[in-house]
Amino acid sequence: MNVRAVANEFAKMRRLRVVPVVVVMVVGVVAYSCVVLTTPGFFESVGDPSGQAWELLLGGLSLAVPLVSPILLAVLASRQVDIEHQGNGWLFSQTAGLSPGHLCRAKFAATGTVVVAATLAQSGLVVAVGGLVGITGAFPTGQWLGYTASAVVVNLVLFAFHLVLSTRATNQLVGLGVGVLGVFVTLTSMGMPAWLAHLFPPWGYYVLATPVEAREVGIVSLDPSHLGVIALGVAGGVLFVLITRLFDRREA
Amino acid sequence: MITTHGLSKTYRDRTVVEDLDLRVPEGCVYGFLGPNGSGKSTTMKMLLSLVRPTSGEIHVMGRPMRRSTRRALLGDIGSLIESPPAYAHLTGRENMRLVQRLLDLGEDQVSRAVRTVRLQDHLDRPVRAYSLGMKQRLGIAMALARQPRLLILDEPTNGLDPAGIDEIRRLLTRLAEDGTTVMVSSHLLGEIDRTATVLGILGNGRMLFQGTREQLFARSTPDVLIDTPEPERAAALTARWNATRDGAAVRLPGLDHRVTARVVSHLVHEHVDVHGVRRDAQSLEDVFMDLTGGRGL
Repeated sequence: MNVRAVANEFAKMRRLRVVPVVVVMVVGVVAYSCVVLTTPGFFESVGDPSGQAWELLLGGLSLAVPLVSPILLAVLASRQVDIEHQGNGWLFSQTAGLSPGHLCRAKFAATGTVVVAATLAQSGLVVAVGGLVGITGAFPTGQWLGYTASAVVVNLVLFAFHLVLSTRATNQLVGLGVGVLGVFVTLTSMGMPAWLAHLFPPWGYYVLATPVEAREVGIVSLDPSHLGVIALGVAGGVLFVLITRLFDRREA
Repeated sequence: MITTHGLSKTYRDRTVVEDLDLRVPEGCVYGFLGPNGSGKSTTMKMLLSLVRPTSGEIHVMGRPMRRSTRRALLGDIGSLIESPPAYAHLTGRENMRLVQRLLDLGEDQVSRAVRTVRLQDHLDRPVRAYSLGMKQRLGIAMALARQPRLLILDEPTNGLDPAGIDEIRRLLTRLAEDGTTVMVSSHLLGEIDRTATVLGILGNGRMLFQGTREQLFARSTPDVLIDTPEPERAAALTARWNATRDGAAVRLPGLDHRVTARVVSHLVHEHVDVHGVRRDAQSLEDVFMDLTGGRGL
């Protein structure tokens, strides 16, 4: 990876409104997660030693991430790539010895860092909200970390997908449209059995990573498919490298 | 500086560049001319290894341009292909910083390039507020920053007003004087004819002419104008030589000295008074039009 190219990608983010988009992504997820605070009986359960209040918050987080992230990841990818389309950046980079695939990978490295930071911030802030409202029960560390790690992987795969899509389709409405469609796929996946959700990567994998679910009987722990998410990460990574290498073969 | 041999590019069944033998001498301004769609941009992209030739060879600075040599060669080539490259949301200075970082250039190299295109007073404005001429100059500064031995510019005067065109012309002349070889394309002859020391004229993907301005003029045959008090009758008498009336004269295209003598003799024999015979002053644009089949300008 060309360190200079990655540093340039960070420099290009200036005045590209990346920070507001990321803030909306983080605040949106935290706000949506906190809807569970309005659930009747939530504040009565904050002292429950079994940690049910934490599980409720985790359930809120695992519902908020797939609803908010797909569109904003599409927006982030689109903004990063559109400047190359508009500014003749692909061709210029090529004449400077930086192939389109290389440029794409540099964009992934730079903006991917922002995506990881935003996802960690979402998770961390929801924990902070739990602490602020006085939840004292046992914190489900394993479930929380497992979900956060899975959300990072799915978000990164989805971001890589949108980078590739925005590079191929110069009309950025295509990427944004697919982002909206992604939310719809995610909502649909929520009602699907796990085996079927596997068939809708990467959006379906948000659902596979869900660690808890609110049912009539109360909050229920699930068995998230971490293996499936790892497989998605590996397959997504390999595909991203292969496709961006194909970009290198494309003629200007 | 650049030589190509049998350079061709075919997209499916459409040949856009055919059997091109380019010779760009070192230290010149090479004017690469041709109508829109004649293959200029494709040729330039092949020279920069952005497009793979279907056949033929390219040598730049004495080395073959291949995938393996491309990176090293591009370090000595500055280019501006299609529209000027710049990120509109960033300032001119920030754009130059990107180039500096990407190519690992020194501060002095960037400053020199910016001064060369006289953009130093506008560097802190966002590029979106630049005029097209300023964007072109920034694009050229980005190409110049690496202090290239060869500069390849694809239609750098596109969309510029006369003052902007003149500024680019002066800049190219200055660069050539400083030892940079400049290859510049245009579909508008008037934009670069006074700047270019060597011309290459492309038509339908083929090289129609390559050489100096003087050599180009030598290849053309200016029209003959015969002044006579009876232009109507004279035109009718010389109709077989495609004569047309031109005011008080008769215009005859493409006649060499021998045929001109025969035409004059014929008119005299038919008792037409011939007051004068002269060659029409032909502009370079006329020659260009002839070569490109009238599609040139």
